[in-house]
Amino acid sequence: MPDLIDGSENVSVHGIFNWIFLLAIFSIITVIGNFLGYKHPISGSLIGMGILSLITLAGVWLERYLPFNVSSILYISVIGILLAFPGMPTSDFVLYYVSQIELLAIVTVFLAYVGIGMGKSWDEFKALGWKAIVITILVIAATYYGAAIVAHIVLVLTGVPAV
Amino acid sequence: MKKNPWRDYKLHGTVLILVIIAELIGTIEIPLTKDVAITIMPLIYTIILGLVFYLAKPIKWIERKQARIAEGAMMLFIGVLIAKLAVSSGQSIGLIFKMGPALILQELGHLATILVLPIALILGFKKEAIGMTNSIGREPNVAVVVDKFGFNSPESRGVFAIFIIGTVIGTIFISFLVTFSLSFLPLHPYAFAMASGVGSASMNAAAIGPTLAAFPGLETQIEAFAGFSNLLSFCVGIYIVIFVALPLTEKVYNWLEPKIGRDSIIPKKEDE
Repeated sequence: MPDLIDGSENVSVHGIFNWIFLLAIFSIITVIGNFLGYKHPISGSLIGMGILSLITLAGVWLERYLPFNVSSILYISVIGILLAFPGMPTSDFVLYYVSQIELLAIVTVFLAYVGIGMGKSWDEFKALGWKAIVITILVIAATYYGAAIVAHIVLVLTGVPAV
Repeated sequence: MKKNPWRDYKLHGTVLILVIIAELIGTIEIPLTKDVAITIMPLIYTIILGLVFYLAKPIKWIERKQARIAEGAMMLFIGVLIAKLAVSSGQSIGLIFKMGPALILQELGHLATILVLPIALILGFKKEAIGMTNSIGREPNVAVVVDKFGFNSPESRGVFAIFIIGTVIGTIFISFLVTFSLSFLPLHPYAFAMASGVGSASMNAAAIGPTLAAFPGLETQIEAFAGFSNLLSFCVGIYIVIFVALPLTEKVYNWLEPKIGRDSIIPKKEDE
């Protein structure tokens, strides 16, 4: 089962052209979903997805070519936060277009790929038995409620009004 | 695997069709009682249809190869999701600093998984239970457990089981869990937002959906907290697992196992 950990069984998505074309396909599908589900105009959404794709590309590229052992998720987060930071010259432009992309439109496309990809684990899943399924469900619920309840208590104690 | 992943028109075409179907159906609300309704969102349709397309025998154009490409492409597409959340975080950076204590302390809330350990013991798991209940069992957690106990240890078997089951049902389960919790639990909207950062991009995505729908007008703040909390789970969460959660799970195991442990179910047959 080592492929689960190091991803060696994944089709490695290497090369900047692969990244660009894949991001373009993902952007087009998302823009269509964004238009059908949320009625955002196509031209603005395309620019919004272009910005998000460029941030992703920069993050993935930095992960590959900088000598630090840092995940692209960190680079992407930092770039995204900086570009939208209040007062940055880029922030108005970035916010105007990125706000036309509904997060849910991205999530819907992303989870379609997740759904197809997770089919691969189906046989292993079936072999595991109901007891392990019960434990998994409880573990996920415990993670979620643990965080939600601690966050709620701290928010109430620090006097954050329930909006 | 010579062909470039972006050229697999069967995969991307299928995703496009799934997305069009999902967005055209739109969100469905099923009222349970006067104030409680289950919301089923397009993201649920695409994930279930994706799995069905892979498993359905008559659909021949989505096979193992497409699943592998989808999995590889996912690693890149997570970036777009993270970028969108980061832009919302940047926009609300002042608010994030103000809510700093809640954001950081809720990471410790993930330790609640250890509460499941006694149930795992009662169900007959032995050392597998340590791997199963120290965390939510996603990629980084699997790596930590395997690193500490070795690939063929019972602890690693436990975390592999959680990983596989979480991969298949986790995303669907958490979206229903969140939908129900939003109706029944009177928690702060920001608390729901922060809790959705469980340390798995797809589960994070599935948990934000219903939360956004439940609090219209707070989209930016919810995205900001969810994104930042996921980032924290990613950077800080792993150290909490290594230095706190895993040692604590072992301590609780050594204390509880002699008291409530059953005969091991594992060496016999795993599937009852």
